[in-house]
Amino acid sequence: MASADGGAYSYSLTVFSPSGKLVQIEHALAAVAQGTTSLGIKASNGIVIATEKKTSSILIDDSVIDKVAVICPNIGIVYSGMGPDFRVLITKARKSAQAYWKIYGEYPPTRVLTQEIATVMQKATQSGGVRPYGVSLLVAGWDSHRGPTLYQVDPSGSYWAWKASAIGKNMLNAKTFLEKRYNDDISLEDAIHTALLTLKEGFEGQMTEKTIEIGVVTVPTEAELEEGKIGGETGRVRPTFRKLSEEEVRDYLAL
Amino acid sequence: MNSFANRFSTNTTQLHSPEEDNFSDATWGSQAGFGNIAMGVPTFSIPDVADPTSFLQLHTDDHADPNCRIKIQHGTTTLAFRFQGGVIVAVDSRATAGSYVASGTVKKVIEINPYLLGTMAGGAADCQYWETYLGMHCRLHELRNRERISVSAASKYLSNLVYSYKGMGLSMGTMICGWDKTGPAVFYVDSDGTRLKGDLFSVGSGSTFAYGVLDQGYRWDLTDAEAQELGRRSIYAAGHRDAFSGNSCNLYHVKEDGWHFIGNYDISKLHYDGPGDVPGAPEGGYGYDIRVEGLSSANPPEAAASA
Amino acid sequence: MSIMEYNGGSVVAMVGKDCVAIASDLRLGNQALGISSNFQKIFPITDRIYLGLPGLATDVTTLRERFRFRVNMYTIKEEREIEPETFAHLVSSTLYEHRFGPYFVEPVMAGLSKTPSGGVKPFIAATDLIGCLNFAKDFVVAGTASSKLYGVAEGLWEPDLEAEDLFETISQTLLNAVDRDAYSGWGCIVHVITKDKVVTRTLKGRMD
Repeated sequence: MASADGGAYSYSLTVFSPSGKLVQIEHALAAVAQGTTSLGIKASNGIVIATEKKTSSILIDDSVIDKVAVICPNIGIVYSGMGPDFRVLITKARKSAQAYWKIYGEYPPTRVLTQEIATVMQKATQSGGVRPYGVSLLVAGWDSHRGPTLYQVDPSGSYWAWKASAIGKNMLNAKTFLEKRYNDDISLEDAIHTALLTLKEGFEGQMTEKTIEIGVVTVPTEAELEEGKIGGETGRVRPTFRKLSEEEVRDYLAL
Repeated sequence: MNSFANRFSTNTTQLHSPEEDNFSDATWGSQAGFGNIAMGVPTFSIPDVADPTSFLQLHTDDHADPNCRIKIQHGTTTLAFRFQGGVIVAVDSRATAGSYVASGTVKKVIEINPYLLGTMAGGAADCQYWETYLGMHCRLHELRNRERISVSAASKYLSNLVYSYKGMGLSMGTMICGWDKTGPAVFYVDSDGTRLKGDLFSVGSGSTFAYGVLDQGYRWDLTDAEAQELGRRSIYAAGHRDAFSGNSCNLYHVKEDGWHFIGNYDISKLHYDGPGDVPGAPEGGYGYDIRVEGLSSANPPEAAASA
Repeated sequence: MSIMEYNGGSVVAMVGKDCVAIASDLRLGNQALGISSNFQKIFPITDRIYLGLPGLATDVTTLRERFRFRVNMYTIKEEREIEPETFAHLVSSTLYEHRFGPYFVEPVMAGLSKTPSGGVKPFIAATDLIGCLNFAKDFVVAGTASSKLYGVAEGLWEPDLEAEDLFETISQTLLNAVDRDAYSGWGCIVHVITKDKVVTRTLKGRMD
């Protein structure tokens, strides 16, 4: 285990310690664990991802901070850890989704996009002159093949599919809470409330529409699918992922 | 010939007399363009420029210039050969315009008179017009000399005629075939002015394929049936392999008493079923894959292949 | 001479009622000289998608392998079969990658796509040699006999043909069109794709 100062193997390069560990990755996970809590819950008819948005000063205009990011019309991501690293990954993910669209004329399935991001993050653990990304991600999306899916990606580049997960500060408590609350046929509405309740555990300060960000995946109905794109053949893809507006968040908090 | 050449000399200022303009040849329908035969050669309106030959060369078909504006049908297979029993003349019947198959029922054997056949390759109109014109002169020869014209003389007449138009875009590759005092005769005549006497000729884009079969099977002492089959089989080979030949084969046999039309054979039918009940023909189709069906693992019988 | 006429060949695809059909001739030529009467230009991509590639034979083989590679990679990566619409876009983008030095082929695709309710929907498409997609609702044609195919198909095709009638229509269309094209013919092959099977038949055509 790494000592407090990082130990003898704490070089900027990711190299194995004699015990077979990549200490830099463990440090990156430590950075994630210091980040604000984020969570995701898969419901029977959708997915919710949520995070707290804490600012260090009341003078910061928090209306322009985005911690839940839209990648493409069917996929959104939330993170815990280092904001700047997240921003870089979001840019790469969005480009990747557009590149996929350019080849196949449709947006990538959640799993494929997750793999793309995971590959980018893995590369940072093996390339010279770079450090691993200091973030864990929760990727939520819908596609015609697998329906709604929720993935977590770690700084090592490993990824898993979850029914519900939490990352960042208090993640262990949050996960325990989710384990108690979760069941397979929970509705999206219930999942959103569970998400807020989970965040409330260990939340410092007031939970408001300004300090909470929520993104949801809604599973399209068969009629909506049959209808296809908005505005016929040539129109835009009907989005299945969207961020809740401040008004919507406020309404959920009020309940 | 001189009168014709003179009309192209640059110092001849008057190309047409006013009378000719008022009453064109076509006006005298019964003469059908051959009206002024008495003048030796028919007259054509010629581009009114100083050097019509080089002018026409710019615009008509030329081996050297594939982009020339007047396109002439090249795809054809025709053949004729001399043997103990007379002359076999066989041709295909396809006419193409670019890659388009414009017709599959073209008559490429021109029956000049009951003793003379001409084949058609190159410009269809050129062949048809000049060989018909040749027929008229052959008849005049008969009337004047009380005997039929020799194949040699007839072909030479045609050869001299087209030579006088050399460079002006005529396109013909023809075989003049017949039976005269010397026996069966075949002459090759083309619009370059070439005239060749020979036993065996094939002309057109499919000629190489026809020659392949013809050379392999040709003998002087072929029987009539064998010779007819060889002609048919050669045209089939060309029709099969050459994209610009095909549809059907017209077969003629010239004997001492003049030419006989033997038959018209669908090339696809020859491929699958053969010519049917005709002397000299083998059982079954000419097609390679038809003949070898069931005889090698690469060509399994149809029943086995679909199983 | 057009490069498409170097080897010759033509493909046509048609939509029927809950079925599609795709057919090609079997000729491979070297300009006017016929070389082979067994040259396949239509390839199965999945159980439900067929791709026809008329054009320069060397590019036909190369592209066939390229698409095999890309579709296999897609299948492995995404753990699913590619859908016809997605494949059409893959064809288009692959061809446009070579915008300034194109492959000399005019792909034609036919397939059945899945509907959200679990049914099938007929799909046909064609592109030019640099990948401009044409999603037609009736029929698509390509190759040296394309102009002739348009004419015959325009006259014979009608909507909602059952599989057997679609087979007859596409066969007669192809057979008669290639008989008017010097560079196509020498036999035909027809595939009719329905929900539960693909019927492939080789037709005897004129051999000249």
